[in-house]
Amino acid sequence: MNQPIALLLATPLLSALLILLLPNLKRHGIARLSVGLSALTFAIAVISLALYMFHPHPQWLSSGLAWGSLYLDPLTSVMTMAVTGISLVVHVYSVRYMAEEPGYARFYILLDLMTATILLMVSAGDLITLLVAWHLIGVLLYFLLGHDLVRPTAQRYAFWSLFTYRLGDLPLILASVLLYKAYGTFAIPTLFERIAENPDVQTVLGLPLTFAVAMLIALSAFARSAQFPLHTWLPYTMEGPTPVSALMHAGIVNAGGFIINRFAPVFVHAGLVLHIVFAVGMVTAIMGSVLMLTQNDIKKSLGYSTMGQMGFMFVECGVGAFSLAIYHLVAHGLFKGTLFLDAGSMIGNARKQDGVPHDDIYTFVVERKPVASRMPWVVAAAVTLVVPFLVLGVSRWLVAGDFIGQQGAVILLFFGWATGAQLLFATYRLRAENPWRLMAMIILSLIIVVFGYTVIEHAFNLFIYPDESLRNRIYAAASIPLGTFETLVAILTAAIVLGWIATYYATANGKQQSGNTSAARLAIYSLISREFYVSDVYAWLTQGILGLSQRMNVWLRWV
Amino acid sequence: MALTLAAAFFLPLFPLSIVFNGLLMRLSNPYARFALVLLWPQIGIAALSFTNQAIPEYMVIWAIISSGLYALRLLTVRDLGLWAGFLASSSLALTWGLAAHHTPVEMHLFAFWFSLPAALLTLLAGSLSRRFGAAYAGLYGGLASSMPRLSILLVITAFVAIATPPSPGFFAMLNLLQRLSLLAAIGVLAIWLLWSWAATKLMQGFVLGADRRHGLPDLGSAAILLYMGVLCVFVVTGLYITGDAL
Repeated sequence: MNQPIALLLATPLLSALLILLLPNLKRHGIARLSVGLSALTFAIAVISLALYMFHPHPQWLSSGLAWGSLYLDPLTSVMTMAVTGISLVVHVYSVRYMAEEPGYARFYILLDLMTATILLMVSAGDLITLLVAWHLIGVLLYFLLGHDLVRPTAQRYAFWSLFTYRLGDLPLILASVLLYKAYGTFAIPTLFERIAENPDVQTVLGLPLTFAVAMLIALSAFARSAQFPLHTWLPYTMEGPTPVSALMHAGIVNAGGFIINRFAPVFVHAGLVLHIVFAVGMVTAIMGSVLMLTQNDIKKSLGYSTMGQMGFMFVECGVGAFSLAIYHLVAHGLFKGTLFLDAGSMIGNARKQDGVPHDDIYTFVVERKPVASRMPWVVAAAVTLVVPFLVLGVSRWLVAGDFIGQQGAVILLFFGWATGAQLLFATYRLRAENPWRLMAMIILSLIIVVFGYTVIEHAFNLFIYPDESLRNRIYAAASIPLGTFETLVAILTAAIVLGWIATYYATANGKQQSGNTSAARLAIYSLISREFYVSDVYAWLTQGILGLSQRMNVWLRWV
Repeated sequence: MALTLAAAFFLPLFPLSIVFNGLLMRLSNPYARFALVLLWPQIGIAALSFTNQAIPEYMVIWAIISSGLYALRLLTVRDLGLWAGFLASSSLALTWGLAAHHTPVEMHLFAFWFSLPAALLTLLAGSLSRRFGAAYAGLYGGLASSMPRLSILLVITAFVAIATPPSPGFFAMLNLLQRLSLLAAIGVLAIWLLWSWAATKLMQGFVLGADRRHGLPDLGSAAILLYMGVLCVFVVTGLYITGDAL
């Protein structure tokens, strides 16, 4: 068996085992042991990735049993490095953060076991190992989120997470059973070879097998990555310790994107499922973003931000940009982990300085600074619409000249366009002494970021999916009829152009809203503030099921 | 047919399962309960192995409905002994899913993988009853603070009982799912979900919350070693037998 990958799994397990077997170890000893072995795990992951880059050939490593095999491919290599990196940061942060908490040893044991289990999931070489790891992550997360054994809310929300995760386990189990029945193997590489040879060997309830399996995997991914309406558990996971929230939002919740990538050879035969993934991701991204903007609690706001980001990750999968979803997953993991770990300092700073800017008169009279101004709105609107479009288009054309033929790439360009425009609009709203200079600097930054991002993303795509035909088949599966696509592009372009012009006009010429709020606005506000009543529906269903259970026990006299 | 019906008493199918659960309620000695949960299903499988007739398809449907009924009822059971009995009734009924394939060894093992953790739970119910007068979730709580050893054991045994990997029950469930039709497999998966819900609810009633009772002794070192040893042997044996049999 390949030494680095086997060591990678063994190191966090060894850490958990040593802490368990050494009950007299003091807190600083526990921390040193766990952080030291966590750093070693990260180093092994880096070596493993480096070795893979020198010898880029996927390896399937058998355990000698029907399960317990490992699969080392580009996806595994990248994911192990991301997971171990985030885990190391969380380990280090927890040393002081958890110092006053009871159950220090238990916390580090669970953290190490979680790291080992996630590593097992990303490197699983057969369906059984994948299922074992997939299932165990939910159980371990339950104990980590419920680390505070006394607080009822921590336990309640830990249970929400466990239940949603168990709900997500079931479709993956069913998909594995269907695949085994149809192809007679649990080994992932062999399975993919047989699927490629004969994709629709059977039908399930009249549907092609690959469609049914892809749909089940997508359902599993929806639950794991908090897609609407299975998202309610995610914003409340901050009831657990902050390092767990960071690990959760930076790593564990991304499992949905990973599982779709792992089963990419199935999804190339299930284009309709990719369209469903796109639609669910889009709805989740919008809902998550709306809910994020209406929160007054920074951690809950970050929770909904993760929901929105997960939605975007599924949108990327839905348009066939599978490797981009992995890139997004890693990048989101790093920045969201940082935000969570920094949330406490932010709250502390906000208590000292509210951050509200002074008005123009105060700035001019008291601070003796010139009054800030804005660019003319027509110019700003033109820059906002043209510059991001050009920058994105040119950067994409430089790395892949034929991108116009790829629907997924075009849709992603639209997202980039809207995001770039958002940045420039935010710049326009900032009053500055020299607004032209400010806008120029922001545009320069945008160019550097977009070009850097495009080059990295392109290299990442070539590394994760070196097989060009697979890349093209994924894009082809995600495509829709050309006429429909062109109509959608025209509508979207018109919406973006007219929408931004209207926004700029309203910002430049509009008046502040004041006075009575309309009934419709209040209705929308209450809908959002109640988080679209999704949790209420679940609470109502739960009460119904528990009531039925109780009535049956009473009727049947508890035997 | 008579033997098949007799087996339905021992691999408990509702309403014949009332006999098993009634007996379990009447027995006050934890060791007698342990023996009953462990041996009762094995008698049923032995009875089935004497039948030469094929098991009708409706028996499997009946078994899944019966298992689902007990899984649903499990959600609001708070007495640990009764909970173990209901879980055994729900899980052992699923043995009928293998009966159609005439695999007595697999059936014996399947029943054993589910009855042993349930039987251990009845022993733990006895330990709690001796200390508190009743093994009732929500009556006291916070055992994690006052009795950490008993709490850990309770949590691990309950999770093993609901077929959490790497317990043998997990692999046995995967093996069973392969033998069932798609609709039956969906039913079994829903039952599995209800077990998880019920186990979490039960654990929260016993283990979590503020410590409200002091001065009662935790499990002794010998007892915890014995229990953990049994569970470890159980899991390792299960991995060896079920893990490789898939």
